[in-house]
Amino acid sequence: MIIEIQGVTKRFGGVTAVDHVDLTVADGELFTLLGPSGCGKTTLLRLLAGFYQPDGGTIRFGDRVVNGLPPYERRIGMVFQNYALWPHMTVADNIGYGLRLRKLPAPEVHTRLREGLRKVNLTGFETRYPGQLSGGQQQRVALARALVLNPDILLLDEPLSNLDAKIRIQVRAEIRRLQQELRITTIYVTHDQEEALSLSDRVAVMRDGHVLQVGPPKELYERPRTRFVADFVGTNNLVPGEVQGAGGRGGDLVVSTALGPLRAVASGAVSGRCVLAVRPENVALGVPASGEGNRVDGRVSLVSYLGNTLRYDVQTESGLVLKADIRDPWHHDPLPVGRPVTLSFPPSVTLAVSDDV
Amino acid sequence: MSRLRVGPAVGVGLIWTFLVLFLIYPLGRIFYDAVTDEAGRWTLANFGEFFTDRFYLRSLVNSMILGVVTVFSASVLGITVAYLLVRYDFAGRNLFSYLTMIPIISPPLVGVLGFTFILGRAGTVNVLLMDVFDMLKPVNFLYGLHGVALVETLHLFPMITLNVVDALGKVDPSLEEAAESVGARGWSKLWRVTLPLTTPGYVAGALLVFIWTFSDFATPLVLGVQDLLAPQAYLNIVQFVDRRIFRMGIVISALMVLLAILFLLAARHYVAIKDYSSLSYSRIERRRLSPARQGLVIAFLSFLLLLSFIPYIGVTLASVGKGWALTPLPVAYTLQYYERVIVEPPKYIVNSFLYSGLAVVICIGVGVPIAWLLARSTVPGRGALDAINTLILAVPGTAIGIAYIRAFHFDLPGFDRGLTSFWIIMPLVLAVRRLPYTVRGSFASLLLVHRSLEEAASSVGASGARTFKDVTLPMIWKGVLVGGLFSFMTSLQEASAVLFLALGGWESITNGIFAFYIAGSANEAAALGVILIIVAAVSVAIINRMAGTRMGGVFG
Repeated sequence: MIIEIQGVTKRFGGVTAVDHVDLTVADGELFTLLGPSGCGKTTLLRLLAGFYQPDGGTIRFGDRVVNGLPPYERRIGMVFQNYALWPHMTVADNIGYGLRLRKLPAPEVHTRLREGLRKVNLTGFETRYPGQLSGGQQQRVALARALVLNPDILLLDEPLSNLDAKIRIQVRAEIRRLQQELRITTIYVTHDQEEALSLSDRVAVMRDGHVLQVGPPKELYERPRTRFVADFVGTNNLVPGEVQGAGGRGGDLVVSTALGPLRAVASGAVSGRCVLAVRPENVALGVPASGEGNRVDGRVSLVSYLGNTLRYDVQTESGLVLKADIRDPWHHDPLPVGRPVTLSFPPSVTLAVSDDV
Repeated sequence: MSRLRVGPAVGVGLIWTFLVLFLIYPLGRIFYDAVTDEAGRWTLANFGEFFTDRFYLRSLVNSMILGVVTVFSASVLGITVAYLLVRYDFAGRNLFSYLTMIPIISPPLVGVLGFTFILGRAGTVNVLLMDVFDMLKPVNFLYGLHGVALVETLHLFPMITLNVVDALGKVDPSLEEAAESVGARGWSKLWRVTLPLTTPGYVAGALLVFIWTFSDFATPLVLGVQDLLAPQAYLNIVQFVDRRIFRMGIVISALMVLLAILFLLAARHYVAIKDYSSLSYSRIERRRLSPARQGLVIAFLSFLLLLSFIPYIGVTLASVGKGWALTPLPVAYTLQYYERVIVEPPKYIVNSFLYSGLAVVICIGVGVPIAWLLARSTVPGRGALDAINTLILAVPGTAIGIAYIRAFHFDLPGFDRGLTSFWIIMPLVLAVRRLPYTVRGSFASLLLVHRSLEEAASSVGASGARTFKDVTLPMIWKGVLVGGLFSFMTSLQEASAVLFLALGGWESITNGIFAFYIAGSANEAAALGVILIIVAAVSVAIINRMAGTRMGGVFG
């Protein structure tokens, strides 16, 4: 089921929570709305679910305009942040409630209920009450309840935020597996960029009711087009600067910064004031054999050992701190704080993005 | 959404019609009367007369003093009991925690009767004192302002206890630990940190105690005190002879409503600037007391309970005692008084149950939708609904009774009598008076049902009405029932508004108690009182079973 969102706006009093958003979600896609709290992602999801009605714009599911339809006429399945399992009903009653509302014959209700339970590996838990289940199990009941109706669209509102870190990764994989298996169009809301990158086909980054950038995870991570996206998705060294012109080889930009002139590639439309974004994993200690690329001198100000990486904070003479990652700490002796070092990073990973803050 | 929603609009309209007709109109009517003269011209002369009459002024001052003294003594008792129950562990703690709630279930009118039998001039205690110690004159425990304060305090201190217990339970332990870390211990921690944290709950309880005392006219009258506002309003109204004095009764009741609203607003303002609510998942451990201290605590609570039990002992003995005069205990026992009040007409008990039952039906019919509107909808006027609901708690029953007499006296179209001549006015006034309990009970339960539980039902295909029936109702019916039962119990006990509206042959139990007592038949009054207590005790037991001991929310 294709979802088309055109010019959708939602206001609460004087606050515009969703502001003229346009999005198209392909059939069978797992599409994530990512952003900090208050960015409008949950509001947009609830507009799709029908809990809110838009103040402007249209929402289409396939060729059906669903504006004004109540949730129960939209053929959606929804998983809530707090699961919203009815505590006075058993697992079977929770999952089967929607089936019974549709007045399906008892044998079919039974078959679909059993299949739903099997899909989420909860066979045998039929007669338990939600209070008797662990967080992960509750989560799976909520998922089964949403899926058992064979909805056109699955809506997930921060479904993992109440789970422990380990279980979170496990359930995350399970959601992805089920979604792939059913090829169901899915909208996933989260503020966790790692979660968004790991399970989405495409991600929309939102801020203040606007969609800033839409793309597959790899594109979003490697080609952020604005300072906000560069900062919110993963970790980035951000250096404000001013475009001086196309100077270097291969159309590189030359950007004057507090660290001196640096060469960069444009990501998105850039001119005049901009921000350079460099991932710590692309910043190397020392100078490469070729002697090319951007170079910055500084002193080690902090060493953080993270197991799979070791991160240096290096303070430059301008006062700006750059982060540089060593990706193989097993074979690296940490430098002491205060040691002078030279950092280098190639222009190809130095992105000039527009400053939207 | 552009769908026309007719059903909900009609429902909201009906609710407002009910409130306007049976609350706003009558209250408006007495205010109108208070600021106009016989010819309907606008004037402040009525208030002028009140504030230049030394007797009325003394009544006003006395009422204030009585209120303040009662709040103070009820606070000392109530907070002490609450603190002991929440923070310390001692033998019989659970039993005491249940028993301290008992005074509140005794209907106020019955309570004062019981006191007169035991502590009155010829009551058990004075008879014993005179016999044993050869005292010549009885001790005046009760007759006077001090007696009213004593009876009201012992009746109302559990209101404070309930609210403070609730508030103490919500105090985050880390706040006290922080106080300890900077060196506050013992009394200073209690005084500077713990008690201030319970302010919002405490103020709600204290306000109810004040307004209840302030507007109770039956207790002072039984104890022979007339120079208070509420008894003045009552006496001025029921004399029915002098129109001038009748109007002053109305002026007094309007003044009482104004004052009550003023106190309410002041309390709200005070509480609003002190929002300490914190979500705490840990609780402060109860401290086990040493045997000696346990003894002290148990002795204190037992003494308090003994005092609280005086009315029960008094009315029970009086209801079965024959020839109880100038002896410590009755000399013979009989059931004849019960026979009189149960078998002979008017059927007080049947009437009371009929009125209170109908009142609860109205309360639920109007109150649950109001609670739903408050908790779930965005209908315009929600703020006003909430304010009205709180207002009802504050408006003195005396004033409501007087307002009804004044407002519904005109002949109804098609009848040659006014609404005041039909018994249906009794359940109506009870329903209005007790509406807040049902609304609060339902509202609290609705808040516990997370919105997403209803949305989840909606997302799997349940319509609005279906969602309410399958998801909302199963989760709130207990709260609704507890609120309803509480409304029922307090309706049975209502002894202010209904005393004005009694109709010959259609009297309720409290009408009977008051009438019998005023006519000198104290034993019959006592028998009715015992029946009322038993009904109340059964209701409270059911409420407690269903809701735990968390009755605080209903009062707060």
